[in-house]
Amino acid sequence: MGKVTRIALAGEGGQGVQSVAQILTEAAELEGKEALYIPNFGIEQRGGVSIAFVQISDQKIPAPKFKTGDIVVALSDRAVRRVQVHVGSETVFVYDASIEGVEEDLPKNARKILAIPALEVANKKLHPRVFNVLIMGAVIGATKVVSLEKAKEAIEKRLGYKFEKSPELQELNFRALEEGIKLVEGMEVE
Amino acid sequence: MNDKPITGEKKVFMTGNEVVAWAALAAGAEVMFGYPITPQNEIMHYWTRLAPKYGRKFLQTEDELSAGFTLIGGVLAGKKAFTATAGPGNVLMQEPMSMAEAMRIPTVAVIQQRGGPSTATVIYSQQEVNLTCFGGNGEGLRVVYSTSSHQELFDYTIKAFNTAWKYRFPTFVLADGYQAKMRESLVIYDPFEKMEMVEPEPFVGKPGTPGVDRKPAHLRNAYSVEEELYEALSKDIADYEKAVPELVEHESFNTEESELLVIAHGVVYRSAAMAVKELAEEGRKVGYFRPITLRPFPQEQLKEAARKAKQILVVESAYGQLYRLVRENLYGADIPLKTMFMPGVGITPEEVREKCVALLDGKEA
Repeated sequence: MGKVTRIALAGEGGQGVQSVAQILTEAAELEGKEALYIPNFGIEQRGGVSIAFVQISDQKIPAPKFKTGDIVVALSDRAVRRVQVHVGSETVFVYDASIEGVEEDLPKNARKILAIPALEVANKKLHPRVFNVLIMGAVIGATKVVSLEKAKEAIEKRLGYKFEKSPELQELNFRALEEGIKLVEGMEVE
Repeated sequence: MNDKPITGEKKVFMTGNEVVAWAALAAGAEVMFGYPITPQNEIMHYWTRLAPKYGRKFLQTEDELSAGFTLIGGVLAGKKAFTATAGPGNVLMQEPMSMAEAMRIPTVAVIQQRGGPSTATVIYSQQEVNLTCFGGNGEGLRVVYSTSSHQELFDYTIKAFNTAWKYRFPTFVLADGYQAKMRESLVIYDPFEKMEMVEPEPFVGKPGTPGVDRKPAHLRNAYSVEEELYEALSKDIADYEKAVPELVEHESFNTEESELLVIAHGVVYRSAAMAVKELAEEGRKVGYFRPITLRPFPQEQLKEAARKAKQILVVESAYGQLYRLVRENLYGADIPLKTMFMPGVGITPEEVREKCVALLDGKEA
């Protein structure tokens, strides 16, 4: 069986983890890879912890859900606690450095734990609305599952209609993607 | 107006609900009747978006009872018609489906199982097996295909129309919320280029004078004499039994070599298959059996697959709904049945693997 990269993204409803998963898997499709993405959410439309399970491989993905991710991303305190079960000894655990009061809840068994200042960078250097694209960049930087070029193409595919109205959005999204990749550079996640 | 929704073959990446809409279009379905319920809503959404481009119709009714009965009406008029529902909607749908059974109406329904009982979750389960196979006040004279992937969702939605119209039993595609919402790749195609498609015909309002030019259409779901019902039912049951060998479908792996046979259906089968294949590669004596038709159940095929097994493990996202079918169909076989029941939650390959290893190592009785 071919190597499958397993990614779990968790955040509060509205933080955009499902969009990230969708764009990421579309980028994998454009790359000619196999991808499987399954959302997991409660009855509430906003406010619950939302998890996206993503798998990318050169071959057909066997099963939709997995227990342990290669990379697990948590974007809120509740998400940090919720995704513990998906962390194993090979997992790179990524969380936003601005999340407070979770020191005790960080997984003890992860291969590596990375606190990235995504929210801060989004707010200060970019725009809060591209926070999730920044996260997508960090995931791509850490896993190399898709190329920057295909990631941009997938963003274009999904948000192109918005870019037509306001071209500066395209530049903002692409910059967020690159900043995201930079966030994990030199962190030796490979 | 476009005529053909798909020409040739095309690789796509989409959600399962979108797949169902495309499959129904490709199969030549003319009308969908439905009422919204998660996680099948997007079947309706995509259908209403796509259907007008190809001259197809949609009717949203006031509830699932009406959706089921209008579906029957559409079929009686000779239209390839379908519906889709889930959970509590599937419960309401049983009354019209029971009527379809009684009158041998070739309805097609796609079920995206959600958690139960009652409202429970909008997410996922395999808890609608009993309901879909045996719901209603009848004998379960239905065909139920349990799919596991987007490719199968496409293939079997198309097949459901052919099966329904060929055998004239209500036919169901039983999927689940995971299959509804997840995205994966598949190849969509025009089935008219690939296979013989069964054409629909009207049940009522045919040309000619009834009794003179043709037999009168005599469709009944009510009888005043018990023997009359018995006679009608006996004929339907005989038709059903006769069709069983042509209808049953299954998939199996390594059954000749296996001491432990894992049985799973639907999306859980994928986790079971992955775990079993990994273990088999490591030299463990393990295989799997997967019923594709839950109704009728591939009884002979299961008995054959279980011949060498020293123990059987049934894995499902329900509390024994598949297990009941397995037990009934293995009646007389002297093999211990072990279970892994996780009602309403997904099952990962890792979890199945762990359970298999414990059973193979004799660490779990």
